[in-house]
Amino acid sequence: MQLIDRYAYANRLRNIDPAQKTALAVLVIGLCLLLNRPAVGLVATAWMGGLTVVRAGVPWAVVGRVLLAEGLFLVLAVVGVALSFSTSPPPPPFRSFQVGALWIGGNPASFSLAGLLVSRALGCAAAMNFLALTTPLMDLVHLLRQLRMPPVLIDLICVMYRFVFILLERMQRMHTAQQSRLGYATRRAALRSSGLLASRLFVDAYQRSTRMQTALESRGYTGDLRVLPLNYRYDARLSVLGAAVGSSLLLVWGFS
Amino acid sequence: MTALLEMDDLHYRYPGSPAPALNGATLRLEAGEKVVLIGRNGSGKSTLLLHSNGILRPQRGQVWVAGQPMSYQQRSLREWRRQVGLIFQHPDDQLFSASVAQDISFGPLNLGLSEEAARQRVAKAAEQCGVTDLLERPTHALSGGEKTRVALAGVLAMEPLVLLADEALANLDPWMRLQLIAIFEHLVAQGKTVLLATHDLPLARTWAGRVVVMDDGRVVADGPPQHIFTDPATLERTGLDCVVAQAGNRIDSIDR
Ligand SMILES: Nc1ncnc2c1ncn2[C@@H]1O[C@H](COP(=O)(O)OP(=O)(O)O)[C@@H](O)[C@H]1O
Ligand SMILES: [Mg+2]
Repeated sequence: MQLIDRYAYANRLRNIDPAQKTALAVLVIGLCLLLNRPAVGLVATAWMGGLTVVRAGVPWAVVGRVLLAEGLFLVLAVVGVALSFSTSPPPPPFRSFQVGALWIGGNPASFSLAGLLVSRALGCAAAMNFLALTTPLMDLVHLLRQLRMPPVLIDLICVMYRFVFILLERMQRMHTAQQSRLGYATRRAALRSSGLLASRLFVDAYQRSTRMQTALESRGYTGDLRVLPLNYRYDARLSVLGAAVGSSLLLVWGFS
Repeated sequence: MTALLEMDDLHYRYPGSPAPALNGATLRLEAGEKVVLIGRNGSGKSTLLLHSNGILRPQRGQVWVAGQPMSYQQRSLREWRRQVGLIFQHPDDQLFSASVAQDISFGPLNLGLSEEAARQRVAKAAEQCGVTDLLERPTHALSGGEKTRVALAGVLAMEPLVLLADEALANLDPWMRLQLIAIFEHLVAQGKTVLLATHDLPLARTWAGRVVVMDDGRVVADGPPQHIFTDPATLERTGLDCVVAQAGNRIDSIDR
């Protein structure tokens, strides 16, 4: 999360209007879901990964790592679709092998369905990664504000986002302090230490929120967190690229 | 001459607490003063500062700003907090937004300024605190000293007449402290009043024009540093005698 967040603030598409980047991601996700051919998902993955690397300047290794993690997760998730498990050998179109009393089998149809699911989900994931790695949360919040989301929800998102990092930092410090007193030396101690850490973190968050309330009131807080909107740039080249992505996905779908 | 900020005979007991935190505290601040507030932990410094802009309401006593008795209605609180700015020890308690620029804009917008005027205030305060380069950075990626300066900018953007800082210099390296003190000097040169609550006695001796000592919820001594640090009764009362004995030579040299 900290890694993704760092690139979200430091990439070449940082100052592009979040609406534009979101529109591109939504377009690709929509097409991946509508056009049900495995090739579409793969091409979308290549496009979005490529855009994140080439246009936004996020390193290959980072984009690859995030995508790989999602890919592994997806493959595990579709095992149940691709393979079937039974106590007797399955009928012909299935190819199968035996593990103990269990027969594990799959047929061409189930394999291609699994492949379609993975490629489709991967395309969507790559589009989401593009958005996550190029657009800080504050920009997405700005977009939500323009889309007339209730201000209370928006303020909540903002403060929670800020608190996640504050608590994360606090948690790391407490964890180090516990470690240096052998808090994680045995499994038993580890269990106890993490329990203490969690309860302490809760109290901490509560006290902190009280202090934040005080500090906000000092600056004239009366119930809503009004701040200046950010200034964004519209990027014509990104729109052209978006059109290219969309039409190539349609072409791939037509030809496969 | 009317004082800029006057806190007159304040009494305050925290709910559920056996002893009063303020027990007849009185403090007058004139325009252009450089004041350091010292006192043991628990002597009531923070509680007094929380009364200075109406966060806490005294159970007895009255606060005056520029000769006006303060009331605790929403509208007068707003004006009050414009005039009296408060910063706290932990900048993380003050910075609620993930965007530095947006965080600084919070106070000015609460004053009812237009976006354009708020933008100018942000630029000016950022310049004053040397954080112009940080405006586009995410809040959580700043160092402690940078966060302190951003928090200060958030208060200065409201252009207060009096600035009170509660241990804001703690946890900063000597270089960063000098930077902050230079900012405070600049404010004083503009005719504003700065009060620092601190345990930093060298700073009290060298920087302050006036030192105020609190003990047990009361102001027990108030005067130029050379008087405060050479009066044995005050020193003993506040537990400062041991420290000052060590630094005796330096005090003698200030005296001359
Ligand atoms: N939120 C609180 N609830 C109850 N008691 C408090 C609270 N904050 C401070 N106190 C008490 O009030 C007294 C003054 O505290 P404080 O103003 O924080 O002193 P200082 O800032 O000089 O260290 C202390 O005895 C402290 O225990
Ligand atoms: Mg204090």
